[in-house]
Amino acid sequence: MHLFLLGVSHKTTPVDIREHLDFAARGLDAALAALAVRPSTSEAVVLSTCNRAELYVACDEVASARADLLGFLGEYHGLDTSAVFPHLYEQVDGAAARHLFRVAGGLDSLVVGEPQILGQVKDAYAAATEGRTVGPVLNKVFPWSFTVGKRVRTETALSEGAVSVSFAATALARKIFGDLKERTVLVIGAGEMGKLTARHLKAQGVSRMLITSRTLAHAAALAETIDASPVPWRDLLVTLNQADIVITATGALLPILTRSQVEGAMRGRRNRPLFLIDIALPRDVDPAVGDLDSVFLYNIDDLQAIVEANLTRRASEITKAEGIVADEVKKFEVWLSARCAIPTVVALRQRFEAIRRQELDRLQPKLAGLPPEAKARVDEITRLLVEKLLITPTEQLKSTPDPERVRSDADALTRLFALDAEDPAQGEPDHSSAARRADDAGKLVTP
Amino acid sequence: MNTIPLLLYLAAGILYAVHFSTRSATVGRAGTAVLASGSLAHTFVIGMQTMAAGHVPIAGTTQAISTFVWLLAVAYLCMEMTTEERALGVFIVPLLVALQLIRALNPVMERRVPILESAWFGVHVASLLFAYASFALACVIGITYVLLFKEIKAKHLGFFYKRLPSLDSLDLMNARTVTLGWVFLTVGVVVGAVWAAEAKSGPIYDPRVQAMSLADPKILGAVVCWAIYTFALYTRRLGWGGKRAAYLSALGFAIVLFNFVPIGYFLTRSHNFGG
Repeated sequence: MHLFLLGVSHKTTPVDIREHLDFAARGLDAALAALAVRPSTSEAVVLSTCNRAELYVACDEVASARADLLGFLGEYHGLDTSAVFPHLYEQVDGAAARHLFRVAGGLDSLVVGEPQILGQVKDAYAAATEGRTVGPVLNKVFPWSFTVGKRVRTETALSEGAVSVSFAATALARKIFGDLKERTVLVIGAGEMGKLTARHLKAQGVSRMLITSRTLAHAAALAETIDASPVPWRDLLVTLNQADIVITATGALLPILTRSQVEGAMRGRRNRPLFLIDIALPRDVDPAVGDLDSVFLYNIDDLQAIVEANLTRRASEITKAEGIVADEVKKFEVWLSARCAIPTVVALRQRFEAIRRQELDRLQPKLAGLPPEAKARVDEITRLLVEKLLITPTEQLKSTPDPERVRSDADALTRLFALDAEDPAQGEPDHSSAARRADDAGKLVTP
Repeated sequence: MNTIPLLLYLAAGILYAVHFSTRSATVGRAGTAVLASGSLAHTFVIGMQTMAAGHVPIAGTTQAISTFVWLLAVAYLCMEMTTEERALGVFIVPLLVALQLIRALNPVMERRVPILESAWFGVHVASLLFAYASFALACVIGITYVLLFKEIKAKHLGFFYKRLPSLDSLDLMNARTVTLGWVFLTVGVVVGAVWAAEAKSGPIYDPRVQAMSLADPKILGAVVCWAIYTFALYTRRLGWGGKRAAYLSALGFAIVLFNFVPIGYFLTRSHNFGG
């Protein structure tokens, strides 16, 4: 059994191709159902976000699964796969697990360490569980990836600190004011940056948002889109008294807020802290305003510096996070290679059982004279003998940490006992119980 | 016997420090658990002393310090549980260790003189100790407020920025602890004054009771504290929250501590009932 991954992501594929491969729009259920009826894959999870579309399947043969998945992509999205093919990447077994673990840990994200992806991986797995398209392999590797994601988050600082100007501003606002629900935000200027930061603050639950602009119509238009109230420009200084957070983003060439203006406003505010975010270039707020007590003034460069520092810190955590991933991949490979050994173990048991039956049959004439209890005893003794002979090789095979070694051992066993040879003398092998025993042994090495 | 809580407080202090620098949640929880067991052990110690002496051990300064430590530990644990904020432990627990050390080095059980066998006296000491515990919390919260304020103001978002709660919640916690402390301080001072007046005209003559006046450093200190905290509360209503309130609560507690330990041991002529 193999773990096989086929997909595209922001790293390999431009957005105009990625958007043709999106699964989220039509719902994952349809895709999972379509995958479930494919002949070569026994399990499937579809991970579809705005940055990636990935198919994780379990299969017996990689080549046929690849062909099958390509066919599926073409049929499902109704596109010519030759256009997509050069952008697709594929991984098998440990490498596929490594990819999934890196994705879940946020290492493969556009913004390294972003935490949302782990939730998206969980959702993808939940959808597949619901659709009953998961089995032993994916049921192992996906929950494992959640553990990796959690380890990366708690053991490294990969996800710490804001990495965009708007998030940095929002994080600062939260550090000053705590809960932002009761706060009033004033946006000065109806430009794009102001809108973006206002949106972030709105997402944090800010209930009262005021917007002012030299042209009231512009303020009103922006207010409409982000559910805020427009304020006439001439009321700017009065409004300053009420606001806790002020975002300035006008195209003005000269400062629109001077020290004396803000000083006056502070008196009316009874010294409640005021957080001024000046994201305009040239600056909208006179730098001297920052000297006032209880005024926190951050301009675009300050916020950019925070972002840079956070990005640098995140980058320095990547090695640590990759170490965690490598660590877990190694463990997963042990588990997977133990599963690889199962067919060999089953075949070996069948071969031994067949030989036992054969010998018993051959001795049948000599045993015929024995009483029934003695015959039963002979049967039991031979069975136990086979069992005892097999127990050590089975355990050795399943606890080998190196997948290559497992494969070569399995090959050696197959060759030594001619397990792949047709044996016409083979009796009725106890297939189900042998498989079950092999499975039980497999559990021994499951971490 | 007082060394067991001391050692537990010390261990908790180390755990809180490790938690503060590494931000490991597991270490933080361990710190809380050790601190809780320390205060539990302390409860037993105080309980047994109460049983042995027949009264709560608050008569002498040394005993009062130990009881104060116990109260502060319990008050801090309550705060930690209600706010789910563990970052302040690193500031509080060393105070517990330092003060409990005084008690552990003076293991004597002070006898209570007959004049103190009054219910007024119990209320007086208990409410003042509770007030001091609140002020200790307010002071620590105030200091962390100033540290965080300075970091944000200077745009150097570093150590405290990552570890402390928001300025707003620190300010709110400061306001609450100061208010609570002020109420108990007021009760303690008023009850003390009533009891002193009663004792002065009572049948037992004691030079210490006669020395109870505003001229005594300990009493003066308490009144100064009361004035500072009243001022802090009043100005907060005028909008002097935040940094100024934080500085005031730090100043207030510095006087509380000075009044409690050096004045209590060496200078007062009226409040030296121990030993």
